[in-house]
Amino acid sequence: MIGPRYIALAALVAAALSSGPASAQVPYDRIVKAESEPASWLTYAGGYKSQRYTALDQINRQNVTQLRPLWVYQIRQAGIIETSPIVVDGVMYMTEPPSTVTALDVRTGRPLWSWTPKIPDDVVIIGSPPVNRGVAVLDNMVYVGSVAGHLTALDSKSGAVRWDVAVDDNHLGYYLTLAPLAIDGKIIVGVSGAEAGIRGFIDAYDAKTGKRVWRRHTIPAPGEPNFNTWGGDSWKTGGGSTWLTGSYDPELKTLYWTTGNPGPDWNGDNRPGDNLYTCSLLALNPDDGSIKWHFQFTPHDTHDWDAVQNVILFDSQVNGRPRKLVAQANRNGFYYVLDRTNGEFIAGAPYVKQTWAEGLDAKGRPRVKPGLEPSTEGVTVFPSISGAANWYSPSYSPKTNLFYQVAREWSTIFYKGEAVYKPGFGFTAGGGRTQNGDDAWAAVRAFEATSGTLKWEFKLLSPGFSSLLSTAGGLVFGGTDEGNFFALDAETGKPLWDTQLGANIRGIPVSFAIDGKQYIAIGAGFALFVYGLP
Amino acid sequence: MTLKRTVLAAAALFALVVADSRASAQTPADIEGGKQLFNGMCVECHGAGGAGGDAPSLNRPRLIHAPTDAALISILTNGIPNTAMPRIRRFTDNETKQLVAYVRSLGKLAEEKVPGDGRKGADVYKSLGCAGCHIVNGTGGNLGPDLSDVGYMRSASSLRQSILDPGAVLPKGVLQIPARGYAEYLPLRIVTKQGGEVRGIRVNEDAFTIQVRDQAGKFYSLRKADLELLEKQAGKSLMPSFASRIKADELTDLVAYLSSLRSQS
Repeated sequence: MIGPRYIALAALVAAALSSGPASAQVPYDRIVKAESEPASWLTYAGGYKSQRYTALDQINRQNVTQLRPLWVYQIRQAGIIETSPIVVDGVMYMTEPPSTVTALDVRTGRPLWSWTPKIPDDVVIIGSPPVNRGVAVLDNMVYVGSVAGHLTALDSKSGAVRWDVAVDDNHLGYYLTLAPLAIDGKIIVGVSGAEAGIRGFIDAYDAKTGKRVWRRHTIPAPGEPNFNTWGGDSWKTGGGSTWLTGSYDPELKTLYWTTGNPGPDWNGDNRPGDNLYTCSLLALNPDDGSIKWHFQFTPHDTHDWDAVQNVILFDSQVNGRPRKLVAQANRNGFYYVLDRTNGEFIAGAPYVKQTWAEGLDAKGRPRVKPGLEPSTEGVTVFPSISGAANWYSPSYSPKTNLFYQVAREWSTIFYKGEAVYKPGFGFTAGGGRTQNGDDAWAAVRAFEATSGTLKWEFKLLSPGFSSLLSTAGGLVFGGTDEGNFFALDAETGKPLWDTQLGANIRGIPVSFAIDGKQYIAIGAGFALFVYGLP
Repeated sequence: MTLKRTVLAAAALFALVVADSRASAQTPADIEGGKQLFNGMCVECHGAGGAGGDAPSLNRPRLIHAPTDAALISILTNGIPNTAMPRIRRFTDNETKQLVAYVRSLGKLAEEKVPGDGRKGADVYKSLGCAGCHIVNGTGGNLGPDLSDVGYMRSASSLRQSILDPGAVLPKGVLQIPARGYAEYLPLRIVTKQGGEVRGIRVNEDAFTIQVRDQAGKFYSLRKADLELLEKQAGKSLMPSFASRIKADELTDLVAYLSSLRSQS
């Protein structure tokens, strides 16, 4: 016989489980309108367009010099912070290296809960440090990828695990560092691991159950279109990882996801051809992962120029016509603008010193100079192995129509090595020696977004990993590897404010507001710093 | 009796140490195997042959984070916090041994037979007043680099070059700028917007500020926005060239002396 107490408990459990859309904290529609809700920061890059722009203007050109630290959160285990926090309804969800999620009270920085996945001792992480770049939120859940290759859904109030799936076999080199992207009922992720000879893909999971809905490989199998851009069995270990968060256009129902380098990195002998869809932008149907169109930035890459850098969606006039555009400052040194409805190449130009291409042809394909592939003796090429850009975020301001990017000026002597594939081991076949010291440098650059024409630049000392945030207050925030957290005038590049955070800044800046007060947050060293006006 | 026991114990310990070192002896096959592993997993950051890339060069006799093989193994298995060096826990013991063998082989300078008389070189060091700017084993001035271990860190030809043409290759490596490869002791000429002039060496720098020490040892903290001129004198050194002040045999002896400075080896 079941007593009344149990019946009451059952009713309570049933009520707790019936978390339908009506009670959902962050329904999909709220994320679609993220830009109109600047008090929150709802996706990795602040909205589906990935503009990393805030409409908040309380902190502005006039008062930015009054900024002061409001709170600091110290992470629990030493490591590199590359996170872009999510902020919603008074709570910040940040990640700590390697794959921990921590929920913080945004008013005080006091932790509410923290969750750390199991990372096996024999975890395979080849190609990057053990980092994490953030979470996704949807309805009442927080989603995080781990270096062990898992995707986990956590209860946003408690941090309890709702579901957990192995995205793929970490022993073969698959691992996750990116922030997932939440769209209507689905969680989209990509993988790292091209340096271990993986075959890359983009996955969609049912947000409620964790069941995989589709997988889009970035390298075609025999019989699929563009398989002939590979030689022999090279497609099986061809890389094409998908290790940064994509963008989304809900009206066009199109996902924009970028892909990394082919494998092995620096020896292309056994993979003749363009090696599609590596170093590319893929426009995907979110229902089934089918490819609507693709654009390859660097065909047959041998310099490790992943094209995973964030692509920014914006609408602008081009030759008097309103166009829906997608833009990227690529690791290969060129800035690209495409029509995001069909992939048509609109404009492209180098934004740093580059020595590998004569330029781009009418379709945006590079006119590659001969003799600059890696060799046993070494070949010097600009930009460097780490690229003119990398994973760190660019920003776009709809107020200025400028695209802001930290551009890195440096070269590498590229070497070619032997390519021997062994599952779960490095499959890079070479390497490089990169310019450093005073010979290498970087600058914050502002381009006319539709053309890539340089509007202004502000020089930095070293080529670090500096993400940018632009604001309606007319500011561009960023950090340096030397620990400077700074604000520039978004129109002119003039430095308006800076402070020293005491360690290299690899965190990605975001802005939000609580109780009517605007905050700016950025990770540096082993801490997350939050600044605001007095 | 007690003495005898101690001797026996010491002998046993010695035997153990010898056996141990034999067990970990590095063979050419180990080095070759380590090279394969290195080219797969390390070369992206540390460069081909450990020549340096996005991570520090490893073709140096003494690695700051890994002075011993045990320290090197610890780095391989645990990584280095707050750097891009990840832990790599996948190696078998044999693979770790091979990788250590290879990394160590990168740093072994061929033992140079340095000509000259080191004792006479010490006198040359004294007579030229080198100690005015350089510390050796705790004694000397602090304007230039500490030379207590310079014989370990630098080849004889490199030492010779630094005496004759000090600005040609400034030392690199431990400057407080976190990025790699910045020249230490870089001479600067600075003019402030108020018209003041500072000449000295760079101690540290970032995008907004620069820290300078002048020849008198005075320290300056300057904001770049306040400067009219910031001239980095690449190719120069505050150390004068001794090319016209030193005879050939004195130079040979001085290099021999400096090569003998190996406080930590």
